[in-house]
Amino acid sequence: MKSRTRREFGCLTGAMVLAGLGPRLAAGEAKAKVVVVGGGIGGATAAKYLAASARTIEVTLVEPKPRYTTCFFSNLYLAGLCSLESLTHGYETLAQRYGINVIHDSVTAVDPVGKTVGLKNGPKLPYDRVVVAPGIAFNYEALAGYDEAATQIIPHAWNAGPQTQLLRRQLENMEDGGVFVLVAPPNPFRCPPAPYERASLVAYYFKQHKPHSRILILDAKDSFNAQDLFLDAWERHYRGMIEWLPAQFTGGIKAIDVKERSVKTASETFKAAVANIIPPQMAGQFAQQNGLVDQSGWCPIDPITFESKLQPGIHVVGDASSAGDMPKSAFVANSQAKACAFAITAALTTSERQPPHLFNTCYTFLSPDDAVSNAVSFKPAAGTIKIIDNFVSQVQESVETRHRTAREAQSWYAAFTRDTFG
Amino acid sequence: MCKIIAASIAVGTFFAFADPSLAVDRDGGAQLAAMCASCHRLDGGDDGIPTILGMSPELLTRAMLSYRSRERPSHIMRAIALSLSDEEIATVARYLAALSRQVRP
Repeated sequence: MKSRTRREFGCLTGAMVLAGLGPRLAAGEAKAKVVVVGGGIGGATAAKYLAASARTIEVTLVEPKPRYTTCFFSNLYLAGLCSLESLTHGYETLAQRYGINVIHDSVTAVDPVGKTVGLKNGPKLPYDRVVVAPGIAFNYEALAGYDEAATQIIPHAWNAGPQTQLLRRQLENMEDGGVFVLVAPPNPFRCPPAPYERASLVAYYFKQHKPHSRILILDAKDSFNAQDLFLDAWERHYRGMIEWLPAQFTGGIKAIDVKERSVKTASETFKAAVANIIPPQMAGQFAQQNGLVDQSGWCPIDPITFESKLQPGIHVVGDASSAGDMPKSAFVANSQAKACAFAITAALTTSERQPPHLFNTCYTFLSPDDAVSNAVSFKPAAGTIKIIDNFVSQVQESVETRHRTAREAQSWYAAFTRDTFG
Repeated sequence: MCKIIAASIAVGTFFAFADPSLAVDRDGGAQLAAMCASCHRLDGGDDGIPTILGMSPELLTRAMLSYRSRERPSHIMRAIALSLSDEEIATVARYLAALSRQVRP
């Protein structure tokens, strides 16, 4: 290969990793327009990689909130181990470095015939393609006694921000000896290990500050993600502090009494000093309102391009998508968004389409210096997405390995949020 | 197998320009590198997860193959290495080496 001098390359930025993804714009050629709805991990990643992939694509990102707080790592905040500010990211780099048109507004509806996206406070945005990344909504109807108003008293803290702060305050104000009741949702839901990571890290906080307190997990399920790793860690770190009751033991969760702060199951009613209800979930509101959702409550998609099976020209990435074996996680949203961005770039320009590589990596904290990880590769197959390989940390790992994984997790957070928000 | 990969690195071509609009990703190296970017910073910064810049294509390829064979332990990297073909490993190694020369001349 011919070597080039530094002068020929000019000044480089982090954006350079993305150089080479796309073609040149011919003189006088109109730019293709892509509108991305939702500035979470899926939406931000899609916008960034679309903008970096081709100068021939004009990218607009619509997100009502000025800043985004990550749900992942928010359990560390609940344990008092980091600030919420450290988990909060803005959109300035996406706008400045990548030339993305960031609009802080709510999207009213998408018009697939006129090919426009409507804004609450602005003019309609014309598009050639739309990427929708609406995340999750809560199915309050599936949980008697609990609704949106109730979240101000008993938080779900499953969208990071004020809800997480409310739960943290309640835990701080709880008297030692109290019971923290966590209601874990049925599958599928955002971040499968997270309710149990939350129990682990709240137990860590109790152990430091409220050693007589206990945690009760009332589960809508009979088993959960990485169960052997959690049960082993609870025995080692928090013996006697965490009790997990599966649906087959309680007979299932029947109702929430918000005023009493109690959870009624088929067998008995459990009263809490502090409660955290994680409700059943479905695709975000925008997906529900724009014909992107099937009977499952999620969005069926093409496994290669992430184009909706219900609405041509509209792609869905992240938690809202129904993506076969892929779980709902930030890493998955980021991975799907890249595959989707490259597929759209190929469709709108003359560039060649490469086969997508889809991944999930999960870091889970059992205590601040005891973390485990999981890595899964996927491939599109038979109209859906299938697992190829699945590797996970083992119960018998050394203390040093777990320490190293915890440090690695912190490094990963920094690199991953940089990859997403620029 | 290693010989085949070495040969494909040697004959591979890579085009990169300071202006992204002029860049050509002839072999998909940039798209493969985007996958790496979910965990590894590719801007010359280093946050603790080992940097993959500044390695020769041969060294990076060898590392990927030893993750694949479990010679080097890391279940995350093993999943990645198993999911890539030999040709894709060579491609991304070439791309990252060329990128390194730009980010860290």
